[in-house]
Amino acid sequence: MNVIECRQAEKKYRGEHGILHADFTIRENTITGVIGRNGAGKTTLLKMLAGYLKPTGGEVKVFGERPFNSLKVSANSMYLDEFTVYSDSTPIGELFQHHRRFYPNWDQQLAVELLAYFSISQKAVRGSLSKGQRNTLHGIIGLAARCPLTIFDEPTTGMDASVRKDFYRALLKDYLTHPRTILISSHHLDEIEDLLEDIVLIDLGKIILHLPVEELKEFGMAISGPAAAVNNWIQHKTVIARKEEASGMVTVIVKNDFTAADKATAAGLRFSPVSASDMSIYLTNREKGGIDDVFNKRQYS
Amino acid sequence: MLNPDSVKPIYVQIAEWLETEILQERFKADDKMYSQYQLADQFNINPATAAKGLTILADAGILYKKRGLGMFVTEQAADQIRHRRINETLTALVSEIVEEAAHLNVGEQELIHMIQQEGKRRKGAVR
Repeated sequence: MNVIECRQAEKKYRGEHGILHADFTIRENTITGVIGRNGAGKTTLLKMLAGYLKPTGGEVKVFGERPFNSLKVSANSMYLDEFTVYSDSTPIGELFQHHRRFYPNWDQQLAVELLAYFSISQKAVRGSLSKGQRNTLHGIIGLAARCPLTIFDEPTTGMDASVRKDFYRALLKDYLTHPRTILISSHHLDEIEDLLEDIVLIDLGKIILHLPVEELKEFGMAISGPAAAVNNWIQHKTVIARKEEASGMVTVIVKNDFTAADKATAAGLRFSPVSASDMSIYLTNREKGGIDDVFNKRQYS
Repeated sequence: MLNPDSVKPIYVQIAEWLETEILQERFKADDKMYSQYQLADQFNINPATAAKGLTILADAGILYKKRGLGMFVTEQAADQIRHRRINETLTALVSEIVEEAAHLNVGEQELIHMIQQEGKRRKGAVR
């Protein structure tokens, strides 16, 4: 069953893109990563799904309903980011009680134990927490609420490395015993890729890929060698990125759709795999090339 | 046990790890294999990825499915894994060694000697 169905969904802000022509579905009880650069449209998409923003075009359906102003969607989904509004003066213990009343699946024990594990007092008020602790609190609330659709928008901002690791471990553990549909946005794919089943890659407001994470790992190949040999071999192939190295060597990222026979003709070239997180960076790079080109343009003379 | 930086997809690494478990006789014929959820928990990965690893082994005839009960090890699993690893993995490794030796002008006798030395070293280490 699909929990989310988008048909040409669109959100425009005063002529600027927010999200354009989003066509995709999310199956029930999957964990999907929403990956893209800053400003790509991740938050716009997620807020549209959660019913916080009304699409300006196309159709968005969550649990079969338009999420904007839908009680059903509101009761069955949760959107969390670092700005999620809670009273800054209410003690956390009390905040938990409010959630307990609203969310039928709320697991009070899990909330209390996770809070203690992350060394945050129930008596503390949110206003006194650091940015990382605040996001940890939001993460705990998101897990304990066990909403059929849970959306974490950049959940680990400000957390230190070990808290990030523990949070994602807690998320997986809880998902294994209580499967539900989870969306996580991040620009650090390498941190969450093992956790994910599918990935949605967004660039400039458009969904450019939606596929199982394992397929993204096999999506492209890096080919390096002397410029002439590389250029010759990559004719008629889909080039995703290109990087000039020192001394006439070139590395080209090519779509992995060539045959073994093709590969056999590439004498003297080195083939290496491209990680999912590198691939997502190559695919969303505005200018083919990369940061090095910015500097190469101004050669030191 | 899994190498996140490896060239190999995680589900392939899972399948290979399970094969090694069978080769080392931690699982015998008709034993129940780990579930996708146990594997997901143990390796901290998505259960769908773990399931893919199990499916590879089921497709290869190393595991069989009992509806509602899970995956079990087939009669011929260990033999099959051993044969395939000799024919594919070991053969490929040998070809790599021979190629590298040729690059370095290491003769066949010297190479065999190196392999024997390594065998001795390992036996010593076991004792």
